[in-house]
Amino acid sequence: MLRQVLVTEFIKLRRCKVTWFSLAALSMGPFGIALMMWIVRDPQRAAQLGLLGTKADLSGLEATWSSFAYALVLIVGVGGMLLLAFIVAYVFGSEYGHGTAKNMLALPVPRHWFAVGKLLVIGVWWLAIVCVAVLLAIMLGLALGLPGLSGGIVLGMVGKALLAAGISLLLAPLVAWIAAAGRGYLAPLAFALVMMGLGNLFGHTGWAQWFPWSIVPLLIGAVAEPVASLPAASYLVLALTFMVGVAATNLQLRYADNAG
Amino acid sequence: MSDVTVIETRSLSKRYGHVQAVDSMNLDVRRGEVYGFLGRNGAGKTTTIRMLLGLIRPSSGCVRILGQPIGPGVLGRIGYLVESATAYPNLTVRENLDIQRRLTRAAPKSVTEAIERLHLVPYAEVRSGRLSSGNLQRLALARALLHSPDVLILDEPANGLDPAGIVEIRQLLRSLADEHGTTVFMSSHILGEVAHLADRVGIIHDGRLLEELDREELATKARAYVAESFSPEALAEALLTADLERYFLWRTGGQ
Repeated sequence: MLRQVLVTEFIKLRRCKVTWFSLAALSMGPFGIALMMWIVRDPQRAAQLGLLGTKADLSGLEATWSSFAYALVLIVGVGGMLLLAFIVAYVFGSEYGHGTAKNMLALPVPRHWFAVGKLLVIGVWWLAIVCVAVLLAIMLGLALGLPGLSGGIVLGMVGKALLAAGISLLLAPLVAWIAAAGRGYLAPLAFALVMMGLGNLFGHTGWAQWFPWSIVPLLIGAVAEPVASLPAASYLVLALTFMVGVAATNLQLRYADNAG
Repeated sequence: MSDVTVIETRSLSKRYGHVQAVDSMNLDVRRGEVYGFLGRNGAGKTTTIRMLLGLIRPSSGCVRILGQPIGPGVLGRIGYLVESATAYPNLTVRENLDIQRRLTRAAPKSVTEAIERLHLVPYAEVRSGRLSSGNLQRLALARALLHSPDVLILDEPANGLDPAGIVEIRQLLRSLADEHGTTVFMSSHILGEVAHLADRVGIIHDGRLLEELDREELATKARAYVAESFSPEALAEALLTADLERYFLWRTGGQ
């Protein structure tokens, strides 16, 4: 039955503009970084471009592969957490927004398969757009001819971006539960924004490794110097968050009144 | 119609805070019967239907359909339409039905059959977000009938349909009950719709089942009430409304 649920969840994405919007939104990151690098590499050009150039100068970026990699991981990590929340809100919330949840939940399918199927679709969708963004970044970096290119830097960038994307994915089930409990789009988006705000706060108070939404910022250096590897406690926190999220989403669909 | 009970509720109740939406409902709907569930807006019809389908949990009491508590096993034998007709707006009529087909394990040809049965052929490749409310209702009914269920639970099935469409759906439901033994449980606040179709009627008010009547009892009681309570002018007005409906159906090719 999971196979049929998965097929139908993918069918639901046909002609869906949100998939293209999410790809466009994440792809803007590499283009934005490449533009900044292009400006920063030539200060005269930065001056000619006025405000944009000033901003690029103020950002403290260097036109090197290591700066490019750092900026990309930052965008996939922090921007990605918000974008992924948006995807989760769409996949779960649209069933309530379109009024189709009542049809779906009265089907002869154990309801946990819908939770699992939707989370798998979200995972495939999310990792696909992250891979496209990373590939795009590599191509743009090569096209710019940035100095300092090495296999280690590129592999490190790809690895860290995928790790940050994977960690964000582990937080998705909790957002999915909020979407199912809130029966729509707004509650999960608000929840994700608040959690990201708290993540930033905890990140600056030394508790980053213990708070799920601080762990990506800790990894990529958004709240302090980037760490080479995350402490084991953070992986435990993430595993627990994932399990609680999956269980809560499943229980919400299975036992709560689904009047939406 | 047989004596086998298909839909059974015992002391079914639902309370939201201080509001008793459904109060100790006992229903017995038999195989092959068309049961009309009549009530005003807010009477508890939709809440009862949601409990029959397992969408909301009763505060107390129980539901059994085809002798089983509600679960994936029995839901495969039920076709349903809950409240307003809805569909995935970015998908075509055919794609919406294909989702239902896959998840009810119906035969691939059932999609085309349902499209033809509900006269949706010209709209089969149209996105459901672009359908009129009447055609969206037809799509919802097609989805309910797609897997040839033994039981149909329909909440306001005539919503959005024009008079000719109402007659057409009425005939379809009647033939399903008479020829295939399908049990139809339908809610409505439109008295005429229920009077034309239902073998038995339950009247719900403030969450309580006030009365259950078969067609003859309903007709007798209704006529007696009209004779006692209606002025000649009001009676003439009511008759004119019925005549107008018949005339409209005749002019637009209905029956």
